Amino acid sequence: MKNTIKVNRARLGLTQADLAVKVQVSRQTINAMELGKYAPSTILSLKLSEVFGLAVNELFMLEEGDWS
Amino acid sequence: MDYHLKSKVYLSKSKINFTFEQINIMNTRYLFNAKYRQFGWMVFVPATILGILTLILEWEPALLDVKVLGFFIDEVFGVEKLVGFTENNILNEILGILVILSGLLVAFSRERDEDELITKIRLESLVWATYWNYGILILAFLFLYDLTFYWVMVFNMFTILYLFIIRFTLAIRKLKASASHEEHD
Repeated sequence: MKNTIKVNRARLGLTQADLAVKVQVSRQTINAMELGKYAPSTILSLKLSEVFGLAVNELFMLEEGDWS
Repeated sequence: MDYHLKSKVYLSKSKINFTFEQINIMNTRYLFNAKYRQFGWMVFVPATILGILTLILEWEPALLDVKVLGFFIDEVFGVEKLVGFTENNILNEILGILVILSGLLVAFSRERDEDELITKIRLESLVWATYWNYGILILAFLFLYDLTFYWVMVFNMFTILYLFIIRFTLAIRKLKASASHEEHD
């Protein structure tokens, strides 16, 4: 699963630490998500969607490999 | 009643000093407050070293020879009793209990920034430690006998805690190191 967190974070001028505070997780978690190493829970996805003002499927997209 | 509120009511009724943290309604985690980890380490390390030394040196100070209450007592040159008192050196009992309790505090105190990623790492580390713990035990069942097997059983009482603590501590360090190398924007 890929995501557009980094792009959207830059759009709002937020650092990883700023975003981490807003969605109540550690900076490491934001970093791991941006690197595609961690798929967040539904709650965290919805929090991110609210912060960025975007639908969840505009933030996260399935990739070919996710179906296998 | 809200689950979070309920847990608070139960805690206020109890006299327990250790507070189990229930972060939110979705994620019930049976973890100790983060402040107990440091205390855990302060006991865990010396208790481990003393425990190993006690085993190697077979150290049994006479001061700690006491009569203790026991169940299913089967003395080599004595009588078999269902319940009764028996002579015992309690140093290994004290150290064993200290290692277990302090190890639990080290293993299951919250990280200061505990969140869902850390919870995932915690769970993975617990699964990993359980597999290795029983893997070692299976190998011991197959290849070790008599007194050697007995010694593995003694250590096996504690290995799951040690394996978990090592794996989890390293994984958290790696996570924090990788994040600190990333952008500082």
